[in-house]
Amino acid sequence: MTADTISAIIVSGLVLGSVYALMASGLSMIWTTLGIFNFAHGALMTLGAYVAWTISNSAGLGLGLAAGIAVSIAALIGAGILIERIVVRPFYDDRDILLITVMTTLATMIFLEKGIQLIWGARLKQLAPIIAGKVQLFRTTISAQETLIIVVAPLLLGALWLFLRHSRIGRGIRAVGQNPDAARLIGIDVSRLFITTFAMSAVLAGLTGVLLGSVRLLTPDFGDEPLVKALIIVIFGGLGSLSGTIVAAYLMGIVEAALTFFIGIYWAPSIVFLLLIIVLLFRPQGLMGKVAR
Amino acid sequence: MPISAQWRGWALAALVVVGLLVPFFIQDTYLRHLFIISYIYGVVAASWDLSLGYAGVFNFGHVAFFGVGVYATGLTAKLLGIDPWIAIVIGGVAASAVAAVIALPVVRLQGVYVVLVTFAFSQLILQLVISQSQFTGGTQGMVRVPTLRLPGYNFLRDYKFGYYYVAFALLVLTTICLRRIVRSDFGLSLKALRDNEDYGVSRGIPIGLQRLKVLVASAFFTGIAGGFYVVYLRVASPEVFDFSTASLVLSMVLVGGTSSIYGSIFAALGLTFISEGLANINGLGEGRFMLVAVAMVIVLLFLPKGLASLFTLKTRGRPSLEGKISGKF
Repeated sequence: MTADTISAIIVSGLVLGSVYALMASGLSMIWTTLGIFNFAHGALMTLGAYVAWTISNSAGLGLGLAAGIAVSIAALIGAGILIERIVVRPFYDDRDILLITVMTTLATMIFLEKGIQLIWGARLKQLAPIIAGKVQLFRTTISAQETLIIVVAPLLLGALWLFLRHSRIGRGIRAVGQNPDAARLIGIDVSRLFITTFAMSAVLAGLTGVLLGSVRLLTPDFGDEPLVKALIIVIFGGLGSLSGTIVAAYLMGIVEAALTFFIGIYWAPSIVFLLLIIVLLFRPQGLMGKVAR
Repeated sequence: MPISAQWRGWALAALVVVGLLVPFFIQDTYLRHLFIISYIYGVVAASWDLSLGYAGVFNFGHVAFFGVGVYATGLTAKLLGIDPWIAIVIGGVAASAVAAVIALPVVRLQGVYVVLVTFAFSQLILQLVISQSQFTGGTQGMVRVPTLRLPGYNFLRDYKFGYYYVAFALLVLTTICLRRIVRSDFGLSLKALRDNEDYGVSRGIPIGLQRLKVLVASAFFTGIAGGFYVVYLRVASPEVFDFSTASLVLSMVLVGGTSSIYGSIFAALGLTFISEGLANINGLGEGRFMLVAVAMVIVLLFLPKGLASLFTLKTRGRPSLEGKISGKF
């Protein structure tokens, strides 16, 4: 194994890991706060990329990438709130909320994906990169956009961590995650925090889509693969721990890059899933997780 | 209730007769095709209802069992030249074997982990199918799967007359088996575990074994349906593992009402005709899945026991969806 190989694996692992960490942290936030899984998370990512494309691309409105990203964020806040309102909120008092919302968010995902296909068609699209050009990282050359992903993801995640740790809303979100009844008792507006969480998580998904939309081609099922990977990461990392999720995301990125390098792109995903199932056989609570609630 | 049970028996017998007569009144090949497809979906939805509704195992990989049946039958019939009738049975056995493997982690896990592992597992199978493209055709799909043969009878030139009866027989036999299972002691123990896991276990029900058995059984019928599906359509594509396939079948289970085998079957019939009908309207090709998604949410919001609950005047002590999947979640 030469230094070139190691460098290539680490760099592409970091790109993958950053994307996964952004996706998985949104899922993890919703899980910690609301105790549900949002299967529409991947479709939200796709939606973010398509909205940004429409606003920015010359085939769309041609208003530039900054406007595209801004509108995309706004749209995702709206979408997050709508999803929470329509398919999650009615079931808060149901003891099977987890099971029911798996189905309703799955329905939402289908609705969004097919809607995207109806509006934008199945033709491949690509966002303009935020930064053009190539960058040499260690001994590997990657596009500047991929470097941007590697840099932006930790910044966003760091900001998220600071927000959850120190801001009033963030502490509220964590309090609700730990004990919703007690949080309500001390005067926290739980239902508003649920909406905030959903909107924030949707924005994270949308930003992932915008960042990845110039590296990969946009299709209506653009978000499926990142969603599946994010689900696996959230299990690997242990449910309900943001730091565990982020560590697991980068670990998974590196492992996947190494597997792709050594055994090829066809077998790598299968091995990843197999590893997951084996890990769960021995550690049902995830690699770093505590026993789930 | 002996009277209503008797009435129900007659109604079912009448339905079987109607089902047997359908091809004589409907000559149109496309309509017969819709019936065949809806019977296949009926088998898949009803057997999902066995593991999801009755046993309360939130198995998200059910559609993967169907895919396993599709590919196991397709591959053995096409590459090994095995008679398609036998290949269909192989499809069922293969799906059961896969279910036994997935049951290993599932019986040890709880709640959301069951959802996630079965989900990941179906993705694993999909990846395997795509990566082995020299056998499976990868994302392009597998074509020219051999068709069913009977001595002296040609299944390809009878306007789907023969296939209709094979599909109908499959549906009726599956329904009888599933009903027998849910009414047996085994079915009762499943319901006991679902409604109160701790109590069931304390009364000596081997929870792991029962869950393994129910997964294997529900996968068997699903695999058979998948095998028939592939020899009928003669093509297999990885789309069977798609999220939209899963949500379509899930919507059938939900609309029909969980833990009512018949409900899932009728919902499968209705939804297949509705969604295929919509597919023929221009521009609605993809939109029909959006409507299915909306229907799913509406049913969960307003009719948690499925559409069938509209017609039931008195509740007959059947637990609603809330009481269904016990305190695991």
